Amino acid sequence: MYPGKNIIALFTAACMLSFISATDMAPVMIKWMILKDCTVRVNGSTNINKFSCVVPDYLRSDTLTCYRGNDLPVILSGRLALPVISFDCSNNMMTNDLRKTLKAKEFPSLNIYFISLEKYPELNNTQESITGVVNIELAGVSKKIGINYQISMDEQKIIHLIGTQTIRFSDFALIPPRKLGGMIRADDRLDVVFKVNFKRISDQ
Amino acid sequence: MKKIFLSGLTAGIILFIISYGGLYVAIRCFPSFFVDYNNPLFNSNGSRDTLFYSHAFIFSFALSWFWERFKSLFKGHFILRGLEFGLVYGIIALVPVMWITFSSLDITVTMVLSWFFYGLCQAVIAGVVFARMNP
Repeated sequence: MYPGKNIIALFTAACMLSFISATDMAPVMIKWMILKDCTVRVNGSTNINKFSCVVPDYLRSDTLTCYRGNDLPVILSGRLALPVISFDCSNNMMTNDLRKTLKAKEFPSLNIYFISLEKYPELNNTQESITGVVNIELAGVSKKIGINYQISMDEQKIIHLIGTQTIRFSDFALIPPRKLGGMIRADDRLDVVFKVNFKRISDQ
Repeated sequence: MKKIFLSGLTAGIILFIISYGGLYVAIRCFPSFFVDYNNPLFNSNGSRDTLFYSHAFIFSFALSWFWERFKSLFKGHFILRGLEFGLVYGIIALVPVMWITFSSLDITVTMVLSWFFYGLCQAVIAGVVFARMNP
């Protein structure tokens, strides 16, 4: 038998298989609507106390788009735009101090842009740990940061996403507040926890 | 003039050590008392630290000049003269300043009272130094 024929046949089969798998990999666009009952909490400390400040209600109904394919990571598109003025530290003085530190007048929004997920979540009622990447824009400075997520979906098909990460004031060119000649000073580290609830609205 | 400068400098060094040392210890021993300083009224970027730490010397040189002008009014043992000097300063300077500070700024009574006693102690210590060095 003429050996060239085998090679041609193999080549043709390989092309067909790659076409089939390319069809499998075509990304599906899934939209998650961000529900309004979302919170963002920032925990920090000074050398004299700890503080916890929260944006209690996220009032915008934005959409997060997931591009789900065989390729990993899963690409995300969407953002949380949080008004810095809404941070509440349960203490007027501390609240005003945090707003001043975060330059709320100059930069009124803290934006969290969702960039990617390590993989598409299983979405059932058990919490799944997934890592992802977001871009945090604070006080006019953007920084890409890895986030640890806990994702689950309840019986009402609401997707619960809890993201946690430690950031630093200095990452965003902010100076941790210091008072009385530096005798009272805030730690550079801030633990950020955001809880976002979604409803899956469409696949395309 | 030399006496004013030398006693002012000495009082400044003593006050610097006692005031900032005392503040450092107080913040560590009574942290809850200082929580209200997390307030935008207080400078938070460190740009005025030099001014903050030079206060002991500004205070001492000003009081040293004041002592030179009015020392003849204070009689008795040097400790008594220093105490009286501090009380005079407290009444004519601290009380009105603390009054207007509390009435116009969003600060607590505890904070204002602590500043009053802090200033009073500083003035008494400075007075004792002046009475000893420049009788």
